[in-house]
Amino acid sequence: MTELAPAEEAAAAAPAVPTRRRPRGAVLLGIGLVMLALMLAITLLGPVVAPHDATRTSPDSLAGPSAAHWLGTDSIGRDVLSRLIIGGRTTLFITFVAVALAVVCGLVLGLSSGYLGGWVDQVVMRALDIVFAFPVFLLAIAVVAALGPSVPNLVLTIAIVYTPTLARVVRGPVLSIKRWDHVEAARSVGVSEFAIATRHVLPLVLSPILVQTSLTLAQTIFTVTALSFLGIGPPPPNPNWGSMLSEARQFMELAPLTVIGPAVAITYATMTFIVLANGLREFLDVGHR
Amino acid sequence: MLIRLVLARLLWSVPILFGVSVVAFVLMRALPGDFAQAAAGTTEISAEALDTMRRQLGLDQPVWAQYLRWLTDALQGDLGRSFATKAPVLDELVPRLLVTAELSLIAGAMAMGIGVCGGLASARLRGRADWVVRVFNGLFLAIPNFVVATLIVLTAGLYFPSVGIFNYVPFAQDPLANLGSMVLPAFSLALAVSVTISENTRAAILEVASQDFVMVARAKGLRRGAILVHYLIRNALTPVITVIGLQLATLLGGSILIETIFTIPGMGQYLFDSISNRDYPVIQAIVLVTAAIVLFVNVLVDVAYARVDARVRYD
Amino acid sequence: MTHPMPADPEPTVEALDADLARRSALRLLLAGGAAAVAPWARAQSGAPRRGGRLTIGADADPIGLDPVTLAAFSSYDFTSLLYSGLLRWNASMKIEPDLATGYETPNSTTYVFRLRRNVKFHNGQAFTADDVKHTFDRILDPASASPSASLFAAIKAVTVVDAHTVRFELKAPSATFLSYLATNPNGVIVPRGVQTLNTNPVGTGPFVFESYEANRQFTLKANPAYYEEGQPYLESVQFRFFKDQASLASALRSRAIDMTWFKDPKVSAQIVRTAPDLVSAPGKTTRTFPVWLNMKARPLSDVRVRRALSLATDRNACLQTVLGGSGKVGAMIPETQVGGYDGVSELPYYKTDAAAARKLLAEAGHPNGIDLGDYIVVAANALDVQCAQILQQQWAAAGIKVTIKPMETAPLLARWANGEYGILSVALAWSPDPDAILSRMTSDNRYGKSMGMADAALDKMIVDARSLLEDARRAEAYQRIQRHIADQAYVLQIYQYPLRWEAWWNHVQGYVALASNIRSFVRTTWVNK
Repeated sequence: MTELAPAEEAAAAAPAVPTRRRPRGAVLLGIGLVMLALMLAITLLGPVVAPHDATRTSPDSLAGPSAAHWLGTDSIGRDVLSRLIIGGRTTLFITFVAVALAVVCGLVLGLSSGYLGGWVDQVVMRALDIVFAFPVFLLAIAVVAALGPSVPNLVLTIAIVYTPTLARVVRGPVLSIKRWDHVEAARSVGVSEFAIATRHVLPLVLSPILVQTSLTLAQTIFTVTALSFLGIGPPPPNPNWGSMLSEARQFMELAPLTVIGPAVAITYATMTFIVLANGLREFLDVGHR
Repeated sequence: MLIRLVLARLLWSVPILFGVSVVAFVLMRALPGDFAQAAAGTTEISAEALDTMRRQLGLDQPVWAQYLRWLTDALQGDLGRSFATKAPVLDELVPRLLVTAELSLIAGAMAMGIGVCGGLASARLRGRADWVVRVFNGLFLAIPNFVVATLIVLTAGLYFPSVGIFNYVPFAQDPLANLGSMVLPAFSLALAVSVTISENTRAAILEVASQDFVMVARAKGLRRGAILVHYLIRNALTPVITVIGLQLATLLGGSILIETIFTIPGMGQYLFDSISNRDYPVIQAIVLVTAAIVLFVNVLVDVAYARVDARVRYD
Repeated sequence: MTHPMPADPEPTVEALDADLARRSALRLLLAGGAAAVAPWARAQSGAPRRGGRLTIGADADPIGLDPVTLAAFSSYDFTSLLYSGLLRWNASMKIEPDLATGYETPNSTTYVFRLRRNVKFHNGQAFTADDVKHTFDRILDPASASPSASLFAAIKAVTVVDAHTVRFELKAPSATFLSYLATNPNGVIVPRGVQTLNTNPVGTGPFVFESYEANRQFTLKANPAYYEEGQPYLESVQFRFFKDQASLASALRSRAIDMTWFKDPKVSAQIVRTAPDLVSAPGKTTRTFPVWLNMKARPLSDVRVRRALSLATDRNACLQTVLGGSGKVGAMIPETQVGGYDGVSELPYYKTDAAAARKLLAEAGHPNGIDLGDYIVVAANALDVQCAQILQQQWAAAGIKVTIKPMETAPLLARWANGEYGILSVALAWSPDPDAILSRMTSDNRYGKSMGMADAALDKMIVDARSLLEDARRAEAYQRIQRHIADQAYVLQIYQYPLRWEAWWNHVQGYVALASNIRSFVRTTWVNK
């Protein structure tokens, strides 16, 4: 899996970035936002924009591109383009919701664990270590096998998988920040721990979180499509990019677009988030975690 | 202090592994269906026959009893026998682990090669052409490895139909053919990883170019190349090793897909099959081994980071 | 997509009755069809050449190699080459002698087999009647948990008359006994005193086990002491394992393997189209795609709702879209078995009529349509999942809503056996006899009960048909039964198809693809390289 954990991300940014590059951060960010907006627009408008019903089958299978089917049809005669658009909705929905959930949980866990320290920190981190050490696919397969391959179950699985990473990203800065002077000063004046945590520590932690969230979004797209590729994704007949790619493999040579379509879509989505992540990182000048 | 850190992390690994094995054990048994049913299929098999099978496999015992039995065996090094093949799990696991490890190592080496060359090239090209490089880097990072693999298979099928891309040969049998069969799958894995290495190489080179000590060294007569290599090794290698370490740590994550697409008999396929078959001993063993690897690599990575940021203490 | 999953759970060959005296018109038709196949397959360019290796692409590893205890279809490929039984199927789907040179039936419940002499197992052990007795004792022993036990439940006793004669006594006359004996691996003979058959198979078959590397390859070499004159021609056979259809297709195309089979006829057709030297076997239908209905509760307990489902189904559309036309419309019994449905005759409620379906639903109290809940299918079977999606659309047009739920095989089977479902599709494991399919529809059978079957008249029809020893009368009885089941819509049958579609390069000669997809005829295969 493209392992874009905090370690790698920090590694990528390790050499100090000269300030001369700062404006470029804005360009990247801009591009990322535009890509994101485009993607969201198409998927949100999905059913309106899609030329055909994504689940309507026909005997006209593996047709090449034509006026009626811009990207041709798949093995049971469904329009590829429509399936890509509708598939995007499912894929992106799962991605956003799962990551949102993971961010919230990660924030709570990372903040409390980092701030409170001591045995709370130990227990939480070890528990997260267990989750982290668990093979992703095993967890996903197990959850899906036990609870069924529905969208909510997938969301849950992915949220569980990425919470540890986000919690760690939060915890790191928290550990260092909580010793800073103005925090000590606030504490000495008698401000409550909770207020300190939320009003002083949290804002400083936001930058790394934003970057990591973006990276996690990219990773999640990978995981969601990978799981669907292996057959553990959302159930049919609703399309999703991973299973489209997998199903297309059998007839690849005869209808390359059935492979190229989802491949491009997945790459585009992942790239959007990576560009966003890089742009955010440079723009916010997040040197290291 | 570093020793304390390493020791602490290693000690913590034990209960974590324990926790992982318990979770896996319980999770697997929570799955509907069991091996007896899976093996029987839709063949009309009597309930008594199914129960006999279950008794032979020890599945009729309460869960905690099964776990204790597994644990005592495991602590003595016996990871049990596969339900499906009745062969000792370790005998089947180790060769597959080695295959996956080999794949990862080759991918790592390729990533280094591609990354360093790419970094060198892009450092040379900096300026106008810089953004081109960044776009390509973004692309290679974004495109998931299984998509790369699928596209490779597609291209081979379309334009080189007579080239056998699914001809895996074990190393022991024919090392050269084995390496040949690993090239394409390793490339799929290496592409994304190489980007990070490439960017680091580039940054390292650019930084070298502007350092004072370089001028001094050149004045002293050292060749630019030697300085470059020396500095590169120091700077680019750390992230490289971290990244490769992480790659190894997620053996199952990326490789399960590549192994499926290129039909390489590694750990990924093994895990997948055993879950479908509800082959509990195999699943337990794989989970244990992978968790151990992940934990070990995490220790290494965190050690590397502890050196970087002295402010952050990992207790 | 299909991904590594346990072996498709199905055994073997289509039914054939050993009574060679009478044949139904259907059987003649089939024999004619098969005869059309056989000479084509045997049309060799020259005499068989000895030696060489045949590489076969397999899509699943064997799970166990002991024929008495194994249950996985993936093992059948190997047992068909390693072991042989008293009888076997020939290319025209007739039963012929194998290890037994002949048999007598002093009465309707006794069979006395004369055994071939000078046959040796692969380990040098001599084959005698004691091995036959040992095999069946093992099968019938409850401690073996053998899946073949229920097939041979009719056996009362197996007695060794002398070293080359063995007598079987049945509890009652059985039209199916010889069919099961001829079926690999259910009726094959294992040697006495060999405990490790599961990993080290020893049999009397044309090939000897050489080596097995899991997930990679399985190698066999020719049995020099095989009792068939001149066979096998090949020096060795190697199975190479590929996890999915795409890799199989690619491997075949790049000639990494000489032959293989596909789960999807569209794939097979496309492959063969891409290369003129690729041959594909015409598929004979041997299994059906059923939609099981749980009739224990409303609304499916109402025959009108079930008939509406049948009317809303356009079976031909499913056939064309999913199978590319490579199959036929199906009923309970596939065409290649006694009394099988030919795919064209009229059956009640088979003619698609969405309007009539709506009317029936309204009559049953659902004027605005109905939601039948989850429709469970085997996630690993791409064809099943595709068909389910098409059916979902067809039923929606008649106001019937279902939610497709692909499930892993293991839990799906458990749910099906316990009757914990509304609508579920899983194809049946085979046996050579239609009774194995139909007996599940009786009200005292485990599966019948889980479905809520309670049709005494149907029970009687099925039981009576079991004891009919003549093909023609049996076929007639089975036709009537199928008509009745279709009329009551107890089960919806959609199409019938061969389990796999085989394809090979034309340098492979002498191979006959059996509809059962057991590769027995590798023993007559030779390569022209």
